[in-house]
Amino acid sequence: MFRFSDILAPKTTVRAHCDLPCGVYDPEQARIEAESCYKIIEKMGQNSDPTFTARAIDIKEERADLAKHHLDVLWHDYFKPEHLEKVPNLHELFWNAAKQVSKVKASTDLADAKKLLDLIDEVDAAWRATGGAEKTRVARQTA
Amino acid sequence: MRPAIEPGDWLLLDPTTHRWPRRGAVVVIREPDSDVLAIKRVAAGPGERVALDEGHLVLGPDEAWLLSDAADAELIAAGLGRPVDSRRYGPVPLDCLVGRAWFRYAPLHRIGRIRPGR
Repeated sequence: MFRFSDILAPKTTVRAHCDLPCGVYDPEQARIEAESCYKIIEKMGQNSDPTFTARAIDIKEERADLAKHHLDVLWHDYFKPEHLEKVPNLHELFWNAAKQVSKVKASTDLADAKKLLDLIDEVDAAWRATGGAEKTRVARQTA
Repeated sequence: MRPAIEPGDWLLLDPTTHRWPRRGAVVVIREPDSDVLAIKRVAAGPGERVALDEGHLVLGPDEAWLLSDAADAELIAAGLGRPVDSRRYGPVPLDCLVGRAWFRYAPLHRIGRIRPGR
């Protein structure tokens, strides 16, 4: 049946767009991706095959992007302004970590990858200091 | 975007806008990160200063700072996270502007112009 409202109804939907967070945050996600970068650089130093090198660079860049994504999620979604009291250098820490990921993405120097791991460990310490481990993870089954 | 825009509102857009409307206007954009069509409010226009936690930034000649109206407390109560707006993706270039929302034509009890807000 014809309805006048069908003519007037909008054809496009727009969203106010908010996150629907699961509430689970852990710097370990970023660390695993950063460890992949570290190991890939290590393997690249032991193998001069150009096909292997091309593939390794491709995977390292992909893993570095994932590390940056996980750091961004922690920074934007987990940490809140009140956490600055416990971690006054929070913004500087994430700024340095994000910059270091970009460096690792373009680098084949193992020292760069190690520095990124160290910065993620500092993020992990900040996450623990603000109760992240207790507040955001689901408890494992105990033996 | 409550209370200015409610879910299910039918809106008219002005798609002929070729520059950012004044502060407080409601606009539809394609989000820079995702291409999602989103509705936000202009919090600052080209050349204006935006205060951040530490310092400030000055918007470029074709950039705007867009925010959601939703308060954090309301979002948490609704089970949602933080709004995805310029606090997430930064200044929005003019290329992303789709149009200015200027009139609501449904539902009937809410028909009227969309007033500039804060």
